[in-house]
Amino acid sequence: MSKKIVVPGELISEERKRLGSNVFVANGKIYAKVLGVSDVDKDQASVVPLEGKYLAKPDDIVIGVVTRVVFAGYGINLNASVDSFIPTKAMRDQLRVGDVVMAKVESVDELKEADLIFPRRLIGGEVFEVVPVRSPRLIGKNGSMLELLKKGTGCELIIGKNGRIWARNGNIELLKKVIAFIEENAYKSNLTNAIQDFFGVTLEEKVPFNQQRNDNRVESETIEEESEVIDYSNEGELNE
Amino acid sequence: MSKEEIVDYKKTKKRLDGRKMDELRPLSIKVGVIPNADGSAYLEWGQNKVYAAVYGPREALPKHTQNPYKAVIKAVYRMASFSVPDRKRPGPNRRDHEISKVLSEALEKVVFVNQFPNTEIAVMVEVADSNAGSRVACLAAAACALADAGIPMKDLVSAVGVGKAFNEIVLDLNKDEEDAPDAVDVPFAIMPNTGEIVLLQMDGLLTRKEWDSVSALGIKGCQQVYEVQKKALTERFTVEELNKKAVEKAVGVEINSNKEVMSEKKVDKKEKEVKAEKKGKEDKAKKVRK
Repeated sequence: MSKKIVVPGELISEERKRLGSNVFVANGKIYAKVLGVSDVDKDQASVVPLEGKYLAKPDDIVIGVVTRVVFAGYGINLNASVDSFIPTKAMRDQLRVGDVVMAKVESVDELKEADLIFPRRLIGGEVFEVVPVRSPRLIGKNGSMLELLKKGTGCELIIGKNGRIWARNGNIELLKKVIAFIEENAYKSNLTNAIQDFFGVTLEEKVPFNQQRNDNRVESETIEEESEVIDYSNEGELNE
Repeated sequence: MSKEEIVDYKKTKKRLDGRKMDELRPLSIKVGVIPNADGSAYLEWGQNKVYAAVYGPREALPKHTQNPYKAVIKAVYRMASFSVPDRKRPGPNRRDHEISKVLSEALEKVVFVNQFPNTEIAVMVEVADSNAGSRVACLAAAACALADAGIPMKDLVSAVGVGKAFNEIVLDLNKDEEDAPDAVDVPFAIMPNTGEIVLLQMDGLLTRKEWDSVSALGIKGCQQVYEVQKKALTERFTVEELNKKAVEKAVGVEINSNKEVMSEKKVDKKEKEVKAEKKGKEDKAKKVRK
Protein backbone atom coordinates (compact mmCIF):
# COMPACT_ATOMS: atom_id res chain seq x y z
CA MET A 1 0.00 0.00 0.00
CA SER A 2 1.01 3.60 0.30
CA LYS A 3 4.29 4.77 1.74
CA LYS A 4 4.22 7.82 3.91
CA ILE A 5 6.59 9.69 6.19
CA VAL A 6 5.31 9.23 9.73
CA VAL A 7 6.22 10.74 13.09
CA PRO A 8 6.17 8.82 16.39
CA GLY A 9 2.63 8.16 17.57
CA GLU A 10 1.07 8.55 14.15
CA LEU A 11 -1.69 6.12 13.24
CA ILE A 12 -0.63 3.80 10.44
CA SER A 13 -3.40 1.20 10.43
CA GLU A 14 -6.80 0.78 12.06
CA GLU A 15 -7.08 -2.86 11.08
CA ARG A 16 -5.62 -5.85 12.83
CA LYS A 17 -2.43 -6.86 11.14
CA ARG A 18 0.81 -8.63 11.80
CA LEU A 19 3.17 -6.24 13.55
CA GLY A 20 6.35 -5.42 11.69
CA SER A 21 9.23 -3.45 13.14
CA ASN A 22 8.93 -0.11 14.93
CA VAL A 23 5.20 -0.18 15.53
CA PHE A 24 3.07 -0.61 18.64
CA VAL A 25 -0.55 -1.31 19.38
CA ALA A 26 -2.87 0.85 21.44
CA ASN A 27 -6.64 0.30 21.62
CA GLY A 28 -6.45 -2.23 18.80
CA LYS A 29 -4.89 0.22 16.35
CA ILE A 30 -1.35 0.26 15.04
CA TYR A 31 0.86 3.31 15.57
CA ALA A 32 4.38 4.23 14.48
CA LYS A 33 7.08 4.18 17.11
CA VAL A 34 9.73 6.20 15.31
CA LEU A 35 10.22 8.80 12.63
CA GLY A 36 10.24 6.79 9.43
CA VAL A 37 8.46 5.58 6.34
CA SER A 38 5.32 3.55 6.95
CA ASP A 39 5.02 0.33 5.01
CA VAL A 40 1.51 -1.08 5.23
CA ASP A 41 0.41 -3.96 3.06
CA LYS A 42 -2.40 -6.46 3.25
CA ASP A 43 -1.27 -8.42 6.27
CA GLN A 44 1.60 -6.52 7.85
CA ALA A 45 2.26 -3.00 9.09
CA SER A 46 5.76 -1.75 9.78
CA VAL A 47 7.83 1.41 9.81
CA VAL A 48 11.28 1.73 8.25
CA PRO A 49 13.19 4.12 10.51
CA LEU A 50 14.99 7.15 9.14
CA GLU A 51 17.15 7.97 12.13
CA GLY A 52 18.47 6.07 15.09
CA LYS A 53 21.34 4.43 16.86
CA TYR A 54 22.51 0.90 16.31
CA LEU A 55 20.75 -1.83 18.25
CA ALA A 56 22.60 -5.14 18.02
CA LYS A 57 20.74 -8.05 16.45
CA PRO A 58 21.96 -11.65 16.15
CA ASP A 59 23.71 -12.48 12.86
CA ASP A 60 24.61 -8.85 12.12
CA ILE A 61 28.02 -8.22 10.60
CA VAL A 62 29.54 -5.31 12.47
CA ILE A 63 32.71 -3.26 12.33
CA GLY A 64 34.14 -2.29 15.69
CA VAL A 65 37.02 -0.21 16.98
CA VAL A 66 39.19 -1.41 19.87
CA THR A 67 38.76 1.01 22.77
CA ARG A 68 40.25 -0.90 25.67
CA VAL A 69 42.92 -3.56 26.04
CA VAL A 70 43.07 -5.70 29.18
CA PHE A 71 44.74 -9.03 29.92
CA ALA A 72 41.59 -11.02 29.24
CA GLY A 73 40.63 -9.38 25.98
CA TYR A 74 39.52 -6.25 24.18
CA GLY A 75 36.71 -3.77 24.55
CA ILE A 76 35.12 -3.12 21.18
CA ASN A 77 33.08 -0.04 20.38
CA LEU A 78 30.24 -0.83 18.00
CA ASN A 79 28.55 2.59 18.06
CA ALA A 80 25.95 1.03 20.37
CA SER A 81 25.06 2.02 23.92
CA VAL A 82 27.42 -0.58 25.42
CA ASP A 83 30.84 -1.79 24.34
CA SER A 84 31.29 -5.44 23.43
CA PHE A 85 34.13 -7.70 24.52
CA ILE A 86 36.35 -10.05 22.55
CA PRO A 87 38.45 -12.43 24.65
CA THR A 88 42.17 -12.71 23.84
CA LYS A 89 41.68 -16.37 23.00
CA ALA A 90 39.34 -15.59 20.13
CA MET A 91 41.93 -13.56 18.25
CA ARG A 92 44.96 -14.95 16.53
CA ASP A 93 46.88 -11.68 16.64
CA GLN A 94 47.15 -9.09 19.34
CA LEU A 95 45.12 -5.93 19.01
CA ARG A 96 45.88 -2.39 20.03
CA VAL A 97 43.63 0.51 20.85
CA GLY A 98 42.31 1.98 17.61
CA ASP A 99 42.48 -1.21 15.58
CA VAL A 100 39.48 -1.99 13.39
CA VAL A 101 37.80 -5.34 13.80
CA MET A 102 35.03 -7.02 11.88
CA ALA A 103 32.84 -9.59 13.62
CA LYS A 104 29.47 -11.24 13.65
CA VAL A 105 26.95 -10.80 16.44
CA GLU A 106 26.22 -14.18 17.97
CA SER A 107 23.67 -13.10 20.55
CA VAL A 108 22.48 -10.06 22.43
CA ASP A 109 21.84 -10.13 26.16
CA GLU A 110 19.14 -8.33 28.10
CA LEU A 111 21.38 -5.31 28.61
CA LYS A 112 21.79 -5.04 24.81
CA GLU A 113 25.44 -6.09 24.88
CA ALA A 114 26.45 -8.05 21.80
CA ASP A 115 28.48 -11.26 21.99
CA LEU A 116 30.81 -11.29 19.02
CA ILE A 117 32.09 -14.30 17.11
CA PHE A 118 34.46 -14.71 14.16
CA PRO A 119 36.45 -11.55 14.89
CA ARG A 120 38.86 -10.52 12.20
CA ARG A 121 41.24 -7.59 12.12
CA LEU A 122 40.92 -5.29 9.13
CA ILE A 123 44.29 -4.08 7.93
CA GLY A 124 44.72 -0.77 6.15
CA GLY A 125 41.86 0.88 4.37
CA GLU A 126 39.53 3.56 5.62
CA VAL A 127 36.57 3.52 7.97
CA PHE A 128 33.68 5.94 7.72
CA GLU A 129 30.24 6.10 9.21
CA VAL A 130 26.65 6.48 8.10
CA VAL A 131 23.37 6.59 10.05
CA PRO A 132 23.17 2.98 11.30
CA VAL A 133 19.49 2.43 10.48
CA ARG A 134 20.13 3.41 6.87
CA SER A 135 22.97 0.94 6.31
CA PRO A 136 20.68 -1.89 5.09
CA ARG A 137 20.05 0.22 2.01
CA LEU A 138 23.81 0.13 1.27
CA ILE A 139 23.64 -3.65 1.21
CA GLY A 140 20.39 -3.95 -0.71
CA LYS A 141 18.30 -6.99 -1.41
CA ASN A 142 20.59 -10.03 -1.56
CA GLY A 143 23.55 -7.68 -1.39
CA SER A 144 22.73 -6.11 -4.75
CA MET A 145 23.73 -2.58 -3.79
CA LEU A 146 26.94 -3.79 -2.18
CA GLU A 147 27.81 -5.64 -5.35
CA LEU A 148 27.11 -2.50 -7.38
CA LEU A 149 29.32 -0.38 -5.16
CA LYS A 150 32.14 -2.88 -5.33
CA LYS A 151 31.95 -3.13 -9.08
CA GLY A 152 31.43 0.56 -9.67
CA THR A 153 34.32 1.79 -7.55
CA GLY A 154 36.65 -1.17 -7.53
CA CYS A 155 36.95 -1.03 -3.74
CA GLU A 156 37.28 -3.85 -1.29
CA LEU A 157 34.25 -3.07 0.81
CA ILE A 158 32.73 -4.26 4.04
CA ILE A 159 29.54 -2.69 5.35
CA GLY A 160 28.72 -3.19 9.01
CA LYS A 161 25.11 -3.13 10.12
CA ASN A 162 26.22 -0.71 12.84
CA GLY A 163 26.75 1.98 10.21
CA ARG A 164 30.52 1.63 9.88
CA ILE A 165 31.97 1.08 6.45
CA TRP A 166 35.44 -0.19 5.72
CA ALA A 167 36.94 0.28 2.30
CA ARG A 168 40.32 -0.30 0.76
CA ASN A 169 41.86 0.31 -2.66
CA GLY A 170 39.77 1.46 -5.60
CA ASN A 171 38.15 4.84 -6.03
CA ILE A 172 37.36 5.64 -2.41
CA GLU A 173 36.53 9.28 -3.12
CA LEU A 174 33.80 8.24 -5.53
CA LEU A 175 32.63 5.58 -3.11
CA LYS A 176 32.27 8.13 -0.33
CA LYS A 177 30.21 10.44 -2.50
CA VAL A 178 27.94 7.65 -3.68
CA ILE A 179 27.51 6.35 -0.14
CA ALA A 180 26.68 9.86 1.07
CA PHE A 181 24.06 10.05 -1.66
CA ILE A 182 22.58 6.69 -0.71
CA GLU A 183 22.53 7.67 2.95
CA GLU A 184 20.74 10.90 2.18
CA ASN A 185 18.20 9.23 -0.09
CA ALA A 186 17.87 5.94 1.76
CA TYR A 187 14.09 6.20 2.06
CA LYS A 188 13.40 6.85 -1.61
CA SER A 189 12.34 4.26 -4.11
CA ASN A 190 14.20 3.16 -7.21
CA LEU A 191 17.55 3.74 -5.46
CA THR A 192 19.29 0.61 -6.64
CA ASN A 193 18.27 1.20 -10.24
CA ALA A 194 19.49 4.79 -10.12
CA ILE A 195 22.87 3.71 -8.80
CA GLN A 196 22.96 0.94 -11.34
CA ASP A 197 22.42 3.38 -14.18
CA PHE A 198 25.00 5.72 -12.71
CA PHE A 199 27.67 3.03 -12.68
CA GLY A 200 26.52 1.72 -16.03
CA VAL A 201 25.89 -1.82 -14.89
CA THR A 202 22.84 -3.30 -16.53
CA LEU A 203 20.28 -5.50 -14.88
CA GLU A 204 20.81 -8.36 -17.34
CA GLU A 205 24.35 -8.74 -16.15
CA LYS A 206 23.34 -8.81 -12.52
CA VAL A 207 20.73 -11.51 -12.72
CA PRO A 208 22.98 -14.26 -14.04
CA PHE A 209 25.45 -13.29 -11.34
CA ASN A 210 22.90 -14.02 -8.62
CA GLN A 211 21.77 -17.21 -10.22
CA GLN A 212 25.34 -18.28 -10.56
CA ARG A 213 25.80 -17.74 -6.85
CA ASN A 214 22.70 -19.67 -5.98
CA ASP A 215 23.77 -22.50 -8.23
CA ASN A 216 27.10 -22.63 -6.51
CA ARG A 217 25.51 -22.75 -3.13
CA VAL A 218 23.25 -25.58 -4.03
CA GLU A 219 26.12 -27.60 -5.32
CA SER A 220 28.84 -26.98 -2.80
CA GLU A 221 26.88 -25.96 0.29
CA THR A 222 30.07 -24.69 1.83
CA ILE A 223 29.44 -21.01 1.27
CA GLU A 224 28.33 -19.37 4.47
CA GLU A 225 25.07 -17.50 4.81
CA GLU A 226 26.63 -14.06 5.00
CA SER A 227 28.42 -14.43 1.71
CA GLU A 228 25.65 -12.20 0.40
CA VAL A 229 26.95 -9.42 2.51
CA ILE A 230 30.67 -9.96 2.55
CA ASP A 231 32.86 -11.31 -0.15
CA TYR A 232 35.10 -13.88 1.45
CA SER A 233 37.01 -14.50 -1.74
CA ASN A 234 39.67 -12.03 -0.73
CA GLU A 235 39.95 -13.18 2.85
CA GLY A 236 43.42 -14.58 2.29
CA GLU A 237 44.67 -11.30 0.97
CA LEU A 238 43.27 -9.38 3.91
CA ASN A 239 45.02 -11.45 6.49
CA GLU A 240 48.39 -11.10 4.88
CA MET B 1 2.05 50.44 34.69
CA SER B 2 -0.90 52.72 34.42
CA LYS B 3 -1.53 51.28 30.97
CA GLU B 4 -2.03 47.79 32.37
CA GLU B 5 -4.64 48.89 34.83
CA ILE B 6 -6.74 50.32 32.04
CA VAL B 7 -6.45 47.24 29.80
CA ASP B 8 -9.43 44.92 29.86
CA TYR B 9 -9.53 42.25 27.19
CA LYS B 10 -13.29 41.86 27.63
CA LYS B 11 -13.66 45.41 26.35
CA THR B 12 -10.86 45.60 23.79
CA LYS B 13 -11.60 42.15 22.23
CA LYS B 14 -7.99 42.22 21.09
CA ARG B 15 -4.76 41.52 22.90
CA LEU B 16 -1.89 43.92 23.50
CA ASP B 17 0.08 42.52 20.55
CA GLY B 18 -3.00 42.42 18.31
CA ARG B 19 -3.66 38.69 18.52
CA LYS B 20 -7.02 37.04 19.02
CA MET B 21 -7.68 35.37 22.38
CA ASP B 22 -7.03 31.89 20.98
CA GLU B 23 -4.19 32.73 18.65
CA LEU B 24 -0.62 31.48 18.97
CA ARG B 25 2.42 33.63 18.45
CA PRO B 26 4.20 32.79 15.19
CA LEU B 27 5.81 29.36 15.67
CA SER B 28 8.48 27.78 13.54
CA ILE B 29 10.61 24.69 14.13
CA LYS B 30 13.65 23.43 12.29
CA VAL B 31 14.96 19.94 12.90
CA GLY B 32 18.49 18.57 12.59
CA VAL B 33 20.39 21.79 13.19
CA ILE B 34 23.23 20.47 15.37
CA PRO B 35 25.44 18.04 13.46
CA ASN B 36 27.23 16.57 16.46
CA ALA B 37 24.02 15.66 18.27
CA ASP B 38 22.04 12.49 17.56
CA GLY B 39 18.94 14.62 17.20
CA SER B 40 18.32 18.34 17.43
CA ALA B 41 15.78 21.06 16.88
CA TYR B 42 15.65 24.85 16.79
CA LEU B 43 12.42 26.55 17.69
CA GLU B 44 11.24 30.12 17.41
CA TRP B 45 8.01 30.98 19.11
CA GLY B 46 7.28 34.66 19.18
CA GLN B 47 10.40 36.11 20.76
CA ASN B 48 11.43 32.76 22.30
CA LYS B 49 14.42 31.15 20.65
CA VAL B 50 15.32 27.67 21.84
CA TYR B 51 17.83 25.00 20.87
CA ALA B 52 17.33 21.36 21.83
CA ALA B 53 19.88 18.58 21.38
CA VAL B 54 19.53 14.90 22.14
CA TYR B 55 22.42 12.52 22.80
CA GLY B 56 21.93 8.84 23.29
CA PRO B 57 20.82 6.32 24.28
CA ARG B 58 24.32 6.06 25.71
CA GLU B 59 25.89 4.58 28.80
CA ALA B 60 24.55 6.44 31.85
CA LEU B 61 27.33 8.03 33.87
CA PRO B 62 27.93 8.35 36.81
CA LYS B 63 27.11 4.68 37.13
CA HIS B 64 24.79 5.04 40.13
CA THR B 65 22.29 6.82 37.90
CA GLN B 66 21.87 3.70 35.77
CA ASN B 67 18.68 1.73 35.99
CA PRO B 68 18.90 -1.87 34.75
CA TYR B 69 15.23 -1.82 33.78
CA LYS B 70 14.98 1.38 31.80
CA ALA B 71 16.71 4.35 30.30
CA VAL B 72 16.93 7.53 32.36
CA ILE B 73 16.05 10.77 30.64
CA LYS B 74 18.32 13.59 31.67
CA ALA B 75 16.84 16.82 30.44
CA VAL B 76 18.86 19.93 31.12
CA TYR B 77 17.21 23.34 30.80
CA ARG B 78 19.53 26.33 30.70
CA MET B 79 19.01 29.97 29.91
CA ALA B 80 21.74 31.94 28.22
CA SER B 81 22.85 34.92 30.25
CA PHE B 82 21.69 37.22 27.44
CA SER B 83 18.24 35.62 27.11
CA VAL B 84 16.54 38.00 29.54
CA PRO B 85 16.53 41.82 29.79
CA ASP B 86 18.69 41.84 32.94
CA ARG B 87 21.73 39.61 32.70
CA LYS B 88 21.10 36.15 34.15
CA ARG B 89 23.88 34.58 36.16
CA PRO B 90 25.04 31.72 33.97
CA GLY B 91 24.93 28.92 36.53
CA PRO B 92 21.90 26.69 37.02
CA ASN B 93 19.51 28.23 39.51
CA ARG B 94 16.47 26.93 41.35
CA ARG B 95 14.17 27.56 38.41
CA ASP B 96 16.48 25.80 35.94
CA HIS B 97 16.60 22.71 38.16
CA GLU B 98 12.84 22.67 38.46
CA ILE B 99 12.22 22.97 34.74
CA SER B 100 14.85 20.31 33.98
CA LYS B 101 12.99 17.97 36.30
CA VAL B 102 9.52 18.57 34.88
CA LEU B 103 10.83 18.26 31.31
CA SER B 104 12.51 14.94 32.13
CA GLU B 105 9.33 13.59 33.65
CA ALA B 106 7.17 14.73 30.76
CA LEU B 107 9.48 13.16 28.17
CA GLU B 108 9.86 9.95 30.14
CA LYS B 109 6.14 9.40 29.66
CA VAL B 110 6.45 9.20 25.88
CA VAL B 111 9.76 7.41 25.34
CA PHE B 112 9.85 3.60 25.36
CA VAL B 113 12.40 3.65 28.14
CA ASN B 114 12.25 -0.10 28.72
CA GLN B 115 14.03 -0.75 25.46
CA PHE B 116 17.31 0.76 26.61
CA PRO B 117 18.36 -0.56 30.00
CA ASN B 118 21.33 1.04 31.79
CA THR B 119 21.40 3.99 29.43
CA GLU B 120 20.72 7.67 29.54
CA ILE B 121 19.08 9.86 26.97
CA ALA B 122 20.48 13.34 27.42
CA VAL B 123 18.25 16.20 26.32
CA MET B 124 19.95 19.59 26.40
CA VAL B 125 17.72 22.60 25.91
CA GLU B 126 19.24 26.05 25.76
CA VAL B 127 17.17 29.20 25.77
CA ALA B 128 18.83 31.86 23.63
CA ASP B 129 16.02 34.38 23.91
CA SER B 130 12.94 34.33 26.06
CA ASN B 131 9.61 36.06 26.39
CA ALA B 132 7.27 33.97 28.55
CA GLY B 133 6.39 30.35 27.90
CA SER B 134 9.96 29.19 27.45
CA ARG B 135 9.39 25.89 29.25
CA VAL B 136 6.65 24.84 26.85
CA ALA B 137 8.79 26.02 23.95
CA CYS B 138 11.61 23.85 25.28
CA LEU B 139 9.35 20.84 25.66
CA ALA B 140 8.02 21.17 22.11
CA ALA B 141 11.56 21.50 20.78
CA ALA B 142 12.82 18.59 22.90
CA ALA B 143 10.09 16.30 21.58
CA CYS B 144 11.10 17.12 18.01
CA ALA B 145 14.76 16.54 18.82
CA LEU B 146 13.93 13.14 20.36
CA ALA B 147 12.01 12.11 17.27
CA ASP B 148 14.87 13.35 15.10
CA ALA B 149 17.26 11.16 17.11
CA GLY B 150 15.18 8.13 16.10
CA ILE B 151 14.23 7.27 19.65
CA PRO B 152 11.13 5.05 19.87
CA MET B 153 8.25 7.05 21.34
CA LYS B 154 4.57 6.54 22.01
CA ASP B 155 3.80 9.99 20.77
CA LEU B 156 5.24 13.45 20.42
CA VAL B 157 4.76 15.99 23.18
CA SER B 158 2.99 19.19 22.25
CA ALA B 159 2.98 22.03 24.73
CA VAL B 160 1.51 25.46 25.02
CA GLY B 161 1.05 28.12 27.65
CA VAL B 162 -2.52 29.01 28.55
CA GLY B 163 -3.97 31.17 31.27
CA LYS B 164 -5.82 34.24 32.27
CA ALA B 165 -4.76 37.82 31.69
CA PHE B 166 -6.61 41.13 31.77
CA ASN B 167 -9.89 39.48 32.68
CA GLU B 168 -9.94 36.98 29.81
CA ILE B 169 -8.80 33.39 29.15
CA VAL B 170 -5.99 33.57 26.59
CA LEU B 171 -3.76 31.19 24.69
CA ASP B 172 0.04 31.46 24.61
CA LEU B 173 0.69 34.33 27.00
CA ASN B 174 3.53 36.73 26.30
CA LYS B 175 5.56 38.56 28.92
CA ASP B 176 3.22 41.55 29.14
CA GLU B 177 0.26 39.27 29.78
CA GLU B 178 2.17 37.13 32.26
CA ASP B 179 2.90 40.30 34.23
CA ALA B 180 -0.77 41.37 34.24
CA PRO B 181 -2.20 42.02 37.72
CA ASP B 182 -4.69 39.15 37.48
CA ALA B 183 -2.42 36.81 35.47
CA VAL B 184 -2.69 33.05 35.82
CA ASP B 185 -0.10 31.07 33.88
CA VAL B 186 -0.74 27.40 33.06
CA PRO B 187 1.99 25.57 31.13
CA PHE B 188 0.15 22.72 29.48
CA ALA B 189 1.58 19.72 27.60
CA ILE B 190 -0.20 16.71 26.17
CA MET B 191 0.41 13.70 24.00
CA PRO B 192 -1.56 14.97 21.01
CA ASN B 193 -2.85 11.60 19.80
CA THR B 194 -4.08 10.27 23.13
CA GLY B 195 -4.76 13.55 24.89
CA GLU B 196 -2.88 12.43 28.00
CA ILE B 197 -1.48 15.34 29.99
CA VAL B 198 2.26 15.09 30.63
CA LEU B 199 2.97 18.51 32.09
CA LEU B 200 0.67 20.81 33.98
CA GLN B 201 1.65 23.59 36.31
CA MET B 202 -0.31 26.57 37.53
CA ASP B 203 0.79 29.92 38.83
CA GLY B 204 -2.22 31.73 40.28
CA LEU B 205 -5.84 30.91 40.99
CA LEU B 206 -8.71 29.93 38.68
CA THR B 207 -12.37 29.14 39.30
CA ARG B 208 -13.68 25.76 38.20
CA LYS B 209 -15.41 27.35 35.22
CA GLU B 210 -12.28 29.20 34.16
CA TRP B 211 -10.25 25.98 34.48
CA ASP B 212 -12.61 24.17 32.15
CA SER B 213 -12.15 26.74 29.43
CA VAL B 214 -8.39 26.90 30.10
CA SER B 215 -7.97 23.15 29.62
CA ALA B 216 -10.13 23.15 26.49
CA LEU B 217 -8.10 26.02 25.07
CA GLY B 218 -4.86 24.25 26.01
CA ILE B 219 -5.79 21.11 24.12
CA LYS B 220 -6.78 23.20 21.12
CA GLY B 221 -3.45 25.06 21.25
CA CYS B 222 -1.46 21.85 21.59
CA GLN B 223 -3.06 20.46 18.45
CA GLN B 224 -1.91 23.55 16.56
CA VAL B 225 1.61 23.10 17.92
CA TYR B 226 1.50 19.41 16.94
CA GLU B 227 0.81 20.27 13.33
CA VAL B 228 3.88 22.52 13.25
CA GLN B 229 6.01 19.83 14.89
CA LYS B 230 4.83 17.19 12.45
CA LYS B 231 5.55 19.43 9.51
CA ALA B 232 9.03 20.24 10.82
CA LEU B 233 9.87 16.56 11.19
CA THR B 234 8.52 15.37 7.86
CA GLU B 235 9.22 18.28 5.53
CA ARG B 236 12.86 17.29 5.06
CA PHE B 237 11.81 14.07 3.42
CA THR B 238 10.01 13.78 0.14
CA VAL B 239 9.01 10.41 -1.24
CA GLU B 240 10.04 10.49 -4.86
CA GLU B 241 11.50 8.21 -7.45
CA LEU B 242 15.21 8.45 -7.99
CA ASN B 243 17.02 8.32 -11.28
CA LYS B 244 20.50 8.46 -12.70
CA LYS B 245 20.43 12.24 -13.05
CA ALA B 246 19.84 12.72 -9.33
CA VAL B 247 22.88 10.60 -8.53
CA GLU B 248 25.01 12.44 -11.06
CA LYS B 249 23.90 15.78 -9.69
CA ALA B 250 24.66 14.84 -6.09
CA VAL B 251 27.89 13.00 -6.72
CA GLY B 252 29.11 15.51 -9.30
CA VAL B 253 29.63 13.77 -12.57
CA GLU B 254 33.28 12.79 -12.50
CA ILE B 255 33.34 11.70 -16.07
CA ASN B 256 37.04 11.02 -16.18
CA SER B 257 37.49 9.03 -13.03
CA ASN B 258 34.22 7.25 -13.48
CA LYS B 259 35.01 6.30 -17.05
CA GLU B 260 38.33 4.88 -15.99
CA VAL B 261 36.69 2.79 -13.36
CA MET B 262 34.04 1.71 -15.80
CA SER B 263 36.54 0.65 -18.42
CA GLU B 264 38.55 -1.26 -15.81
CA LYS B 265 35.40 -2.81 -14.57
CA LYS B 266 34.37 -3.90 -18.03
CA VAL B 267 37.64 -5.72 -18.44
CA ASP B 268 37.12 -7.34 -15.07
CA LYS B 269 33.64 -8.34 -16.05
CA LYS B 270 34.82 -9.97 -19.25
CA GLU B 271 37.44 -11.87 -17.32
CA LYS B 272 34.85 -12.90 -14.80
CA GLU B 273 32.48 -14.04 -17.48
CA VAL B 274 35.20 -16.10 -19.07
CA LYS B 275 36.05 -17.57 -15.70
CA ALA B 276 32.41 -18.28 -14.95
CA GLU B 277 32.03 -20.03 -18.26
CA LYS B 278 35.11 -22.10 -17.58
CA LYS B 279 33.85 -22.94 -14.14
CA GLY B 280 30.46 -23.89 -15.50
CA LYS B 281 32.07 -26.20 -17.97
CA GLU B 282 34.23 -27.80 -15.30
CA ASP B 283 31.25 -28.27 -13.03
CA LYS B 284 29.31 -29.88 -15.81
CA ALA B 285 32.27 -32.12 -16.50
CA LYS B 286 32.40 -33.06 -12.84
CA LYS B 287 28.72 -33.85 -12.81
CA VAL B 288 29.13 -36.02 -15.86
CA ARG B 289 31.98 -37.85 -14.16
CA LYS B 290 29.87 -38.39 -11.08
